[in-house]
Amino acid sequence: MDKENDILKWFEGELSFQELQNKYPGEDFSTLEKAAFYSKQIQVPTLDAQKALDTFKARNLKKETPKVIPLNFKNFLRIAAVLVVLLSSSYFLFFNTTSSFSTAIAQTETLTLPDNSEVILNAKSKISFNKKEWKKTRNLNLEGEAFFKVTKGNKFTVNTEEGTIEVLGTQFNVKQRPDYFEVHCYEGSVRVSTQSKDVILTPGKSIRVIRGQVGIIENFNLKNPSWLARESSFDKVPLWQVIKELEVQYDISINASSVDNTQLFSGTFTHSDKNIALQSVTIPLKLSFKIDGKKVEFYNHGSN
Amino acid sequence: MSSPKHKLCEEVHFNSFYLEHLQSASNFAYYKGGDRDASLDYVQDAFQKIWENCSKIDPAKAKTYLFTTINNLFLNLVRHQKVVMAYAKASPYRDQTNLNPEYLMEEEEFKEKLRLAIEDLSPEQREVFLLNRIEDKKYREIAELLDISQKTVEKRMSAALKIIREKIDQVNF
Repeated sequence: MDKENDILKWFEGELSFQELQNKYPGEDFSTLEKAAFYSKQIQVPTLDAQKALDTFKARNLKKETPKVIPLNFKNFLRIAAVLVVLLSSSYFLFFNTTSSFSTAIAQTETLTLPDNSEVILNAKSKISFNKKEWKKTRNLNLEGEAFFKVTKGNKFTVNTEEGTIEVLGTQFNVKQRPDYFEVHCYEGSVRVSTQSKDVILTPGKSIRVIRGQVGIIENFNLKNPSWLARESSFDKVPLWQVIKELEVQYDISINASSVDNTQLFSGTFTHSDKNIALQSVTIPLKLSFKIDGKKVEFYNHGSN
Repeated sequence: MSSPKHKLCEEVHFNSFYLEHLQSASNFAYYKGGDRDASLDYVQDAFQKIWENCSKIDPAKAKTYLFTTINNLFLNLVRHQKVVMAYAKASPYRDQTNLNPEYLMEEEEFKEKLRLAIEDLSPEQREVFLLNRIEDKKYREIAELLDISQKTVEKRMSAALKIIREKIDQVNF
C-alpha cells in the first residue's frame, strides 16, 4: 500500500525516481519509469481554436431563454370568482342565520319568535334577527310598524333607525316610518332610547319622535293598537304622516301639495274601505279629495 | 450591474472561455475516447450545451461543467470503437546519445507495448493517466476537473499503472 502511494507520489512529481528507488532497493521500477517517459510523447491532436470557434458558431445555436409566462389576470379573476361564489354560498349555508320577514302594502302578518314572543307586522314593515344568537340576546331590527308581545325573559331589544327599545317582557307597539317614530306601551315597561333622549314608558304611555323632534310622553287608553282592529288611530298627528299611513294601507299615492299638511289630525281611519278612510281623514280637516286610479289629490273645500 | 451568472451568455465572455479551454477539453475527450475526429465533435457538443444553458451555469464552475459534460456525452454512447493512440513524430528516445540500433529497436518495441497497454485501459483509467502524464496535472486538479474525489483519481491511477506494468512485463517474458 505504501509502495503504491509512493509510486503515485512519484508520478505526481512529489517524489523523485531516485528517492523511490532508494526507498525500495529490491524493486525494479524501470518499466514504469520508461512508461512514464514515453507516455508523455503520446500526441494529442492540436486544434486551431479560432477555426474551431468559427465552426462552432456556424452551428445552429439557440440560447435557452427562460420562458416567460405572463401573469394571466383572466385566470386570476376566474379563480377569484369561483372562490367568491364558494365562500359566499358556504357563508350563507353555514353562518347566515339571519331571519327576516317583511310585509307589503296593506298587509299585516303575525309572527312567533323563537322564544314564543309574538310580533304583528303592520303594512310595509320588516323585521330581521339572528336566529342563532336569539337565545343569548333577543335583538331584532325593525323598519316600519309592529306590535310586540314579549314573553318574560332577558332583555329584548328592538333596533330602529330612530332609536332602540329595550324591554324585559311587555306588550308594546313600535311605529317607525320615515321621519316618524312612535312607541306605545301596553303592558310592563319599555325603555326607549333615541339619539337625544332616554325615556321609560309605563302602560298607557306613548312617545313620539317627528323629524328628530322628541315629543312629550302622552297618555292613551287603548288596550291594543288600533291597527290590529284594521284601523289607524291618530292623536294630533301631522297630516303628512296620516297621508303616509293611508298610502301604506291602501297602495295609493296622495298629492296634498295644495293643502297645509302640517295641520294636526286626530281620529281614525279604517283599513277596509278606501273611500270611507279618505273621508274620515278629509272631512274633519275640511278638505276634499279626488280619486284618479291610484292617484288621490287633496284640496281645500271650495277651491277647484 | 449584470449578474456574474450571465457573463457566459455574453458572446465576448463565452468566446474567451471557449478559446481558453478548447484544447484541454479536446485533449480530455481524446484521452477518454482515443478518437481524433470524434473528440472535437464531443467538445463542440459540450460547448453548445454550455451556451444553451449559459444563464444557469456558475462561471466559476463552467470548466468543471465542460469536462463533466464531455464525460456524460461518452456515457451516453455505446462503448466506442477502437482506441487509437499515436506518438508524436520526432519524439526523442530516453538516451539521446545512444544510437545503437539494438537500443533503438528495444525502445521502439517498448513504446509499442506501452501504446497498446494504454489503449487497453478503461476510459476512466486512461483519462486520469494521460491527464497526469501529458498535462502534468496533480491528482487534486484532476479530481476537481472531473468532479470526483481525489481518492477515486488515485485509485484509477494506481490501477492504470498496475495494468501498464503487467502488460509490458508480461509480454517481455
